[in-house]
Amino acid sequence: MILVNGIRKRFGAAVALDGMTFEVRPGQVTGFVGPNGAGKSTTMRVILGLDRPDAGQALVEGKPYRELADPMRHLGSLLDAGALQPSRTARNHLLWLAHSQGLGARRVDEVLEQTGLGGVARRRAGGFSLGMRQRLGIAAALLGDPPALMLDEPFNGMDPEGIIWMRGFLRSLAGQGRAVLVSSHLMGELQGTADHVIVVGRGRVIADASVAELLNSASSGRITVRTESPEAPGILAAAGATAAPTGDGGLSITGLPAERIAEVLHRHGVTFSELAAHRATLEDAYLELTRDAVEFRAEGPR
Amino acid sequence: MSVDMAELSKVTVTSRPAPGTTMGRALRAEWTKLRTSPGTLGLLLAVVAGTTGLSATVAAACSGGTCGADVALTGVQLGQAVVAILAVLAIGNEYSTGMFTVTLTAMPRRLPVLVGKAVVVAAMVAAAAAVAVAGSVVAGEILLPAYHATFRPAAGSVLYLVLIALLSLGIATAVRSPAAAIGTVLTVLYAVPIIVSVVTDPVWHDRFEKYSPVSAGLAVQATGPDPLIGPWKGLGVLALWTLAALLAGAILLKRRDA
Repeated sequence: MILVNGIRKRFGAAVALDGMTFEVRPGQVTGFVGPNGAGKSTTMRVILGLDRPDAGQALVEGKPYRELADPMRHLGSLLDAGALQPSRTARNHLLWLAHSQGLGARRVDEVLEQTGLGGVARRRAGGFSLGMRQRLGIAAALLGDPPALMLDEPFNGMDPEGIIWMRGFLRSLAGQGRAVLVSSHLMGELQGTADHVIVVGRGRVIADASVAELLNSASSGRITVRTESPEAPGILAAAGATAAPTGDGGLSITGLPAERIAEVLHRHGVTFSELAAHRATLEDAYLELTRDAVEFRAEGPR
Repeated sequence: MSVDMAELSKVTVTSRPAPGTTMGRALRAEWTKLRTSPGTLGLLLAVVAGTTGLSATVAAACSGGTCGADVALTGVQLGQAVVAILAVLAIGNEYSTGMFTVTLTAMPRRLPVLVGKAVVVAAMVAAAAAVAVAGSVVAGEILLPAYHATFRPAAGSVLYLVLIALLSLGIATAVRSPAAAIGTVLTVLYAVPIIVSVVTDPVWHDRFEKYSPVSAGLAVQATGPDPLIGPWKGLGVLALWTLAALLAGAILLKRRDA
């Protein structure tokens, strides 16, 4: 769908993209995450042919975006929801975009309804809240009914209701078989939305994995058990695990999966009141990955 | 992740190409854009009102018969400022709001975008200028005893205004900031002729008069004898300046990051 291959881009002395490489697949929401300045927006601009890369290439359905005859029918995008002339109505903004793709006013009305903007279609877009502008931007991205969508920080400025709507919307787009690439600098926004995550820092990919894989790798397999039994550490050590007291009456265990721990304790007749695997949040996984990639870090007081 | 194949094929089937060429679509999109920009109608009306109003005022002030017939089209010198603003905003507004990235995302081939804008701006300005010049001619016929409408100065004035619009569009495309573009264009329209008029060396004065865009272009209005440059030739000089500005804009537009 979208293929980014070895893109390099400098702005003066600053390296924005340093061999950015990844692929966005159909039928899933791919999160594109990294700290500010990691190169997410620049990558999207290169994909859209707005910025020319110094090296490497980006392909949409096998072609550079610039060579697509009606590009919005292949890749719908939203980079900056504020990028519109405030004095034009929402409907007229979509109308010129539709005309640029050989589409008509009927399609405009369809996407207005789809994004819940039907009632404000004839109002000036300049009076819209950021959340409404995001919806208008999504409507524009959907105009060409494209098999791939690319959205830069679509959750920005949305109220909780809008965020829930956006999540459901992104899920349904992926459910229809479309490739959806969504950038965010907050990993938490993508939990429950993204199937796959591309983590970037300093202009390159740090991790490219499914959400499940990422969570597993960050969870480090630590499990806590709460038990009254003094034999428990010995029994677990004999089974190959390392057990250390947590200080509040529990044991922190590594080296065995939760099912095996339960089985071993059960076999030895040890009763326990709690057995919990420590699941990392997507945020934990992300912070661990990007620790070295954050460009500007606040230093502690000296 | 399983993919619903029925839905997937639906997505691909509907994305077959729509009719129309890249250029045709760019023209249509730019037309819709300029038409739905609320400022456009007001500026077009201002072209007519400014041009006709100034022409009529000057003609009325001259009704004693002391002026030559060429004052009948004086209003063009006001109308040109409005025309320039309209043309600058046609692209400058997009640069200043960031919407130009949306335009280039919709139409990644950049030259058709500029050509589309040029055609649409030229057509709108030509229509407004024709009305404005016609109004000036009528005012001249009524108010100026010495004036008789002739084709060349009137038609030439319409073309002059169209060329000024395209010159402004080219400059705005090159410099991007609407404020900088309007400043540059107003300098060309009003400051350069003033500077030319104070050049004392006669050889250089004549050269500037013949080859600077405004004084050369306005030669098309001349009704007196013995002009420095022929009327159509003068308009041709302006056309070359306009072409240069559009080319500079086009080259920069194509080469730099949006």
